[in-house]
Amino acid sequence: MVVIVLESTPPSLKGELSRWMVEVTTGVYAGRVNALVRDLLWEKCVQHARRGRCYQVYRTNAEQGFAIRMHGDALRSVVDFDGLEFVAAKNAQWAESQPGNTPEKHDNVT
Amino acid sequence: MAESQRVIWRKQNLRELPKFRDGLSYLYLEHTRVEVQDRAIACLHVQGMVDVPVAALGVLLLGPGTTVTHAAMRALADSGCSVVWVGEDGTRCYASGTGEARSSKRLQQQVRLWTDDEARLRVVREMYALRFSKRPAKHLTLRQIRGMEGARVRDTYARASEQSGVPWSGRDYQRESWKAADPVNRAISSGNACLYGLAHAAILSGGYSPALGFIHTGKQLSFVYDIADLYKTEMVVPAAFQAVSELPENIESRVRAKVRAEITRTRLLERMVNDLHALMEADPEGEDPFEADEARPGDLWDPEGDVEGGVAYGGDRVGEHAAEPEG
Repeated sequence: MVVIVLESTPPSLKGELSRWMVEVTTGVYAGRVNALVRDLLWEKCVQHARRGRCYQVYRTNAEQGFAIRMHGDALRSVVDFDGLEFVAAKNAQWAESQPGNTPEKHDNVT
Repeated sequence: MAESQRVIWRKQNLRELPKFRDGLSYLYLEHTRVEVQDRAIACLHVQGMVDVPVAALGVLLLGPGTTVTHAAMRALADSGCSVVWVGEDGTRCYASGTGEARSSKRLQQQVRLWTDDEARLRVVREMYALRFSKRPAKHLTLRQIRGMEGARVRDTYARASEQSGVPWSGRDYQRESWKAADPVNRAISSGNACLYGLAHAAILSGGYSPALGFIHTGKQLSFVYDIADLYKTEMVVPAAFQAVSELPENIESRVRAKVRAEITRTRLLERMVNDLHALMEADPEGEDPFEADEARPGDLWDPEGDVEGGVAYGGDRVGEHAAEPEG
């Protein structure tokens, strides 16, 4: 199974994808295609994304059972922890921890 | 929607947690802060905040420079994820979540086998049998089997050394100085740490005690060593030699990745749980009566068979429920 998510990409790319896959909700596509087609569809996404973002998740034989790839997202990236893939997000919490950024003091009240 | 509408979260349902064998094996973190953010377990990475799916994780290995918050520790325990602090010098310090089992049935079975010398010897022989391709003959004494095992381990090192072209001068690690050990020895120690963590998580998840070892004895983690030893030569040794033969850098990390690939390929998590139950002569699919309601009172022992707990006996009305809840 392959899942592709498109954000702010040209409508023609979205239309093109729907020829292979089912559009579950706006920009989210699910389908079962072989490895070759999956890679070709990914190339297509990357090529035509313009300034939009695309994400692909697909089945693999690794421990997690799936792999992730991303394109065009400056705030998110895939990180590898000795063979496990997770997503790192540059959110406000991360920004606070960066050098040069003096975090405001706050009490940890729960 | 308004912030004031707070979502109330129910206590962790044990059935939601993936069984140990279906989950991820281990995750090693270092130089990071593990905390809870909106119920997610997040850790700080140079590339951003990373949410870690701990409910699916067997064991979290925390390396040097890690900080864990109180809330994160609680969430880890709730999701049955074992936590192991591993030092760069190969020393391990264990902590554990409560595991996914609430019933003590399996632990009682372990104790039963452990306290009976005849049964214990049977388990020990079974454990050795799992390591040899051919079951050692019945007439061999335990001493002879230990000798065979020593020869098998030396042979594994020699073969791995030959296949990878990495010279081998014997297992040697200095507890005082990590960097003084040669790269292969460091690689083996790193891989072993993962395996120990995993065995520890499997033991807890099955509802056994890590302290009551059969071959190993006298330490709080004796049973962990027993279980990890069943797979060491197969999982860690070839991976360690291979990692060292490829590149001199990042040996520890590459060993972990290789051991993980081997664990996936051989479906070790499933095998480990099955072996564990087989050794303990336990029913692998046995029901956990506390799975649905972990606060349910346990039974009371009686030589003629356990009787229902949480009941006030000898009161005016027999069967009257005790007022005090447990836990």
